Amino acid sequence: MAMTSNERPHSLPYLGYGLGLRVEHYEALLADPGRVEWLEIVSENYMVQGGLPLIWLDRFRERFPLVMHGVSLSIGSTDPLDEDYLSRLQALAQRVEPAWVSDHLCWTGVQGVNLHDLMPLPYTEEALEHVVSRVKRVQDTLKRRILLENVSSYVTFADSQLTEWEFLGAVAERADCLILLDINNVHVSAMNHGFSSMDYLRGIPAERVQQFHLAGYEQGEQLIIDTHDAPVSNAVWDLYVEAVRHFGRVSTMIERDDNFPPLAELRAELEHARALAEPLLQAAA
Amino acid sequence: MSSLQAIQQQLLHAVLAADSIPPPVISGNAIASAGDRLAIYQHGYRVRLRDALKIEFGGLQCMAGKAFENLLDKYVAAHPSEHYNIRWYGAGLAAFLDYAHPWRNKPQLAEMARLDWAISTAFDAADESSKDIAELSAVPPEAWAGLRLSLQKNLQIVTCLFNAAAYRRAADRGDTRPHLRRFDTPRQILVWRDATTVHYRTLENDEWQVLVAALRGETFAALCELLAAHRGEAAAMPRMVALLQHWLAAGMVQGWTL
Repeated sequence: MAMTSNERPHSLPYLGYGLGLRVEHYEALLADPGRVEWLEIVSENYMVQGGLPLIWLDRFRERFPLVMHGVSLSIGSTDPLDEDYLSRLQALAQRVEPAWVSDHLCWTGVQGVNLHDLMPLPYTEEALEHVVSRVKRVQDTLKRRILLENVSSYVTFADSQLTEWEFLGAVAERADCLILLDINNVHVSAMNHGFSSMDYLRGIPAERVQQFHLAGYEQGEQLIIDTHDAPVSNAVWDLYVEAVRHFGRVSTMIERDDNFPPLAELRAELEHARALAEPLLQAAA
Repeated sequence: MSSLQAIQQQLLHAVLAADSIPPPVISGNAIASAGDRLAIYQHGYRVRLRDALKIEFGGLQCMAGKAFENLLDKYVAAHPSEHYNIRWYGAGLAAFLDYAHPWRNKPQLAEMARLDWAISTAFDAADESSKDIAELSAVPPEAWAGLRLSLQKNLQIVTCLFNAAAYRRAADRGDTRPHLRRFDTPRQILVWRDATTVHYRTLENDEWQVLVAALRGETFAALCELLAAHRGEAAAMPRMVALLQHWLAAGMVQGWTL
């Protein structure tokens, strides 16, 4: 095993096994959380002025450790950082007091147009410098390290000079930020682009990996589509085991964004993650 | 080598244009061509925006029926999203239906979109406290004439020439689609949020005029004069009291100044 949480110089609290909080499971989660130990909220869903969303948020905040996960920071865009977004994100972080704040290593729009998608970056020195400077700005504003998540991607760029994992690792090291490693996204991109998911795991700085996402995908005709609307696949469970072996104890959650099953099914998936990881972690302890 | 900005602009325009020819900055390989790869982003962009609109415009979906999908496609094609939060993408839909062919020939659709959007924006508007009748009763009698009500800021009035509220209600309840009705004179639909619940109802003409005057900051005496013009001197005060009680019970009154 390469790393344990005690060896992580940048480590935030270890939260255990959690779920992404979605409206569809509000009632069930409060009624019977089972062994769900923490929740990840989608930041934008609560960047509102008032009403029910914030009432629910406060209820969950009383019961669970929360982390904030955004989709609109657009850290890689060549448009200026959206100051309004940043100030609202900061205000939400002050209200929630999350264990950490994360977003994606991507861009979501340019020229004032938002694609509402996690668009991949070309892995060039120019993009690296650009992202690093913006991560530093965001971290200075939020007064905390952020986590950046690897996205599933379908295109690559002719100008890329680095692998995705080299780029992600370099961003984390140079900007002094942390990594949210989506195991499903590693698998999806590996299959779509033909690289080794194990090379990916071995290629990123282990001490900066703070959180795992587990999710499901859809098999298209040629490419795998990251839908987050299906159970975690066997291939992703296998890769999760390798990730636990490699990174050690990392806060882990199931992220379902559509085609929501009853909460019990997600809790069962989470128990499966626990059952896979804990024996390995205990054997290594 | 293209600059990062040039790469992003090319990819953005390729996604928006839904062009089958990918820009030269993206690569394909033996697994899939650049065009097939680009198509995933093109498809996903449109699906996400359409899904966001479907959440907010239940009444419009009910009213437009089979034409709803085409309407969404046209709006998505005409209106790139500019806000970081997809929740606000529908803000321009009513205005689009006002001017875009062929929808402008069916003004009931823009009206419906306006009502749907008012309900949507009331849902997560800023929280405000509301006063009850006991608190208003404590106002000394001599101060009533100059009292000015402060109503909830989430309160909106939507003018309707058609029975848009019936479509929204049918959508909310899963009822069958109503028949379209055009009113002889426009009606005013009040939309507001009481605590966490969004309500909408048709205003009677005198209530509408008094409510608009109250929103303008007119005094209680001026509101009573308005009602007297509608109902006569004798009926004005009982009507004003009834309206006040109703507004207070519905959580519409945030406070007042004396």
